[in-house]
Amino acid sequence: MSENRGLIAVVVVLLVALAGMVCLGVGALVYCPQPGSACAGLFGAPSNVSQNNPSQTQPTTAPDQSQSQTQNPTQNSSTNNTAPGGNVLRLPGGSGMGGDPPTLDPANTSDVESATYIVEIFSGLVGFNKDLKIVPDLAEKWDVSNDGKTYTFTLRQDAKFHDGRPVTAQDVKYSLERAADPRTRSTVSPLYLGDIVGFMDKYTGKANEVSGVQVLDNYTVQIDIDKPISYFLAALAHPTSYIVDKFNVESGEQPWYLKPNGTGPFKLIQWDQGQQIVLEKNADYYGDIKPSVDRIEFLLGGGSAMTRYENGDLDATRVSIADIERVSDPASPLNKELSIDPQLSTSFIVFNTRKAPFDDPKVRMAFAMSIDRQKLNDVVFKKMPVVATGILPQAFPGFNQDLKGIPFDPEGAKKLLAESKYASGLPDIVWSTVGGGGTAGSDVQAIAEMLKENLGANISVEQTDWATYLSQINGTNVDFQLFDIGWSADYVDPHNFIGLLFRGGSLNNWSGYDNPVVNQLIDDASVEPNLDKRIQEYQQAEEKILQDAPVLPLTYGRDFWLTKPYVKGAFYPPLVIERLKYITLDK
Amino acid sequence: MLAYIVRRLLWLPVLLILISLITFALGIYGPGDPVQVMMGLHARPDIIAQVRKEYGLDQPFPVQYWNYMTNALRGNFGYSLVKYQGQRVSDLIAKRLPVTLQLNLVSVCWSLPLAIALGIFAALKRKSWLDVFLRGMVILAVSIPVIGLQPVLTFLFSRKHEIGPMTLGPFLPVGGWGGIFSPQVILPAFILGLGVLAVFTRQTRAAMIDVLNADYVRTARAKGLKEWMVLVRHALRNALIPLVTLIGFVLAGMFAGSFIIESFYGIPGVGQLAYDALISKEYYIIMAFTLMIAVVYVLMNLLIDILYVFVDPRIRYK
Repeated sequence: MSENRGLIAVVVVLLVALAGMVCLGVGALVYCPQPGSACAGLFGAPSNVSQNNPSQTQPTTAPDQSQSQTQNPTQNSSTNNTAPGGNVLRLPGGSGMGGDPPTLDPANTSDVESATYIVEIFSGLVGFNKDLKIVPDLAEKWDVSNDGKTYTFTLRQDAKFHDGRPVTAQDVKYSLERAADPRTRSTVSPLYLGDIVGFMDKYTGKANEVSGVQVLDNYTVQIDIDKPISYFLAALAHPTSYIVDKFNVESGEQPWYLKPNGTGPFKLIQWDQGQQIVLEKNADYYGDIKPSVDRIEFLLGGGSAMTRYENGDLDATRVSIADIERVSDPASPLNKELSIDPQLSTSFIVFNTRKAPFDDPKVRMAFAMSIDRQKLNDVVFKKMPVVATGILPQAFPGFNQDLKGIPFDPEGAKKLLAESKYASGLPDIVWSTVGGGGTAGSDVQAIAEMLKENLGANISVEQTDWATYLSQINGTNVDFQLFDIGWSADYVDPHNFIGLLFRGGSLNNWSGYDNPVVNQLIDDASVEPNLDKRIQEYQQAEEKILQDAPVLPLTYGRDFWLTKPYVKGAFYPPLVIERLKYITLDK
Repeated sequence: MLAYIVRRLLWLPVLLILISLITFALGIYGPGDPVQVMMGLHARPDIIAQVRKEYGLDQPFPVQYWNYMTNALRGNFGYSLVKYQGQRVSDLIAKRLPVTLQLNLVSVCWSLPLAIALGIFAALKRKSWLDVFLRGMVILAVSIPVIGLQPVLTFLFSRKHEIGPMTLGPFLPVGGWGGIFSPQVILPAFILGLGVLAVFTRQTRAAMIDVLNADYVRTARAKGLKEWMVLVRHALRNALIPLVTLIGFVLAGMFAGSFIIESFYGIPGVGQLAYDALISKEYYIIMAFTLMIAVVYVLMNLLIDILYVFVDPRIRYK
């Protein structure tokens, strides 16, 4: 008896394992009838959007499915989604990095990945055109009062949600109030809409409605703002301000945005988490430029987008630094498909002026002059960005072409250091950077080495994860001594760089820089109605800041994309704007 | 025996409370904050405070912990804050766990039987050049870092190769997920299986050698049993006993997923989810993930201990 026990046990273990495998296999077969079909799993999860909520019973899902079929006569013809032909565009997820968007709720859009889809599915009162100019969208026109504090929008009467319901002024009021509702938990709405009268009262729970938004009639809405800010329309063009459907939001779906009912040129028909997002064109789109591509598939599973592009499985891809030399070679066939576009971003090295030795401007300038940014850009960054000459990036209004930038001058730097109060010796310096352990990024290593060679600075690098890093640099009391950071514009106004990053007391003033002259210039500029004069004032401030070197601007970012020649009308703007409706396929 | 099992199971809640306390405390008191991660560089303290209040993150630790645990007992493991805003954590895990299980299943299916076969083979041919070769390969397999192997395999199998006038490949898709019968599964399952293969080959070989030297094998041979009978009935059966523990851990590990492989190949499994959650300070996802792994390991351990009673007649529980 006991002799057989061992054998039995082993057999039992193997049988259990085998049974488990068979179960899983059968489950997989049931749920994935076709090999290679998009299918996430076994336990109730062919995870398209309509089945995201297992506890929800059929009544809510069934009409939606029939709806999407009856409303979209194109769907049948486009189910053959793997064929290279057909009017299907295949793109890498979001901004080209892959991964699921954190949300598709306009009011909560705080990142580029989410915004990429939201601007196509939803729309706002106003939007940006290809040239980043504000144009009418759901509002066909608007009037601004003489004091610049009251905007009256007249809505288009032909705009409909994807389910066919017309968009009215009540929807505008609902959407803006919802963005202010503390229960929406938006971290971005105060940044864009906080200037609307009564917005913050609702946000902090002191009021039940936003008094500054009034419905005048079904197609007219009036918005009052606290002060005549010049960028209010730009704020309305941000996804945070986009119009949502009350019935959709309150449908009970958890969360509602998995089945969004928007107004934009494309509608979401499928979202297999971690795998793909599928948009389909909105045949009833009200805009003047109608979408042409029937179906757009965003591949969310990251990794190797470049290989997929080269194999013909993707129609466009962002180029990473690993492939840049190959693609930039004029002899490469890929080179003809390459487009290079400026981003609205600048990367900086920040000298914390609250900490020794960077409390002395001479030391800061000496450090800045010891860094050979051209070499860094050529060797480490492989010429993907361009060397920064100032703070405002190239594509920005107010970019100063006359700025030469801080020169690379090791001799001059040594001289400056000798004149500084740290001439007798620099303290040890800790460079804080975002990293996952192991060795620091090659850019950080290269710069630390340059500083050591040219100034004799003893720099050790400390890496932290992004969440910790953020908690350290937020607020007015930054503890890091020396660190690197990049800044991308949220709105196209010089204030977004000069004002936020360098005004004394500003929350994003990482360096702790506080120059009364610069503060005055920034304060004057922010209320100056004349655009040319404003820009002039910001440029003066920029020049003064560069002389004091609280930061060293390293590079201006650029975007490298490959696009197949049959994709016409694709462009890669520096802001997230509606752009897919311009694309046609010519296969 | 039954009493023993009940006693072991009674310890489970105690263990879970301890684990959840530690994990929750690390989340709350550790550096970084999910609302801050959401806001990124554009954080404003008044907004952060307001949103934290709405999420109840401003409450003292015991209150937050109590709320979490009472909700968890009712099956509500909270909602994602940052990366999958507003989605139920239980939904997120339920959607991803099958993917991870399937992927690991494929990797175990090819590697485990092969490893046992190779291990037996190596033990029988001990000190032959084949044994030396196998042992070398095993060391190689455990030594190659995944980060190095992945790009090489992708280059070889997932790219077009133009050799003179010929175009070869791509043989396999680059990544993504299409179920266990799709070609996408081959490369990640291969890489994941290598570790299992290496460990089990070595363990099987060692156990077999041990058993083959035992007295009862000599006795079996002496009483004239056929060699295959000796091997299968006396040697192999006993050699597999120590492997049961290992198999248990491999099965438990299947639930954890692989952070690296799933991220590299864009496979929507729990490994990827956990990785995202760790980066963005998603307390609730980390909590649910940790508790799930803890439960699986505890149960698997119990199962192994119970199995030993059957496997090894010398063991008795009271």
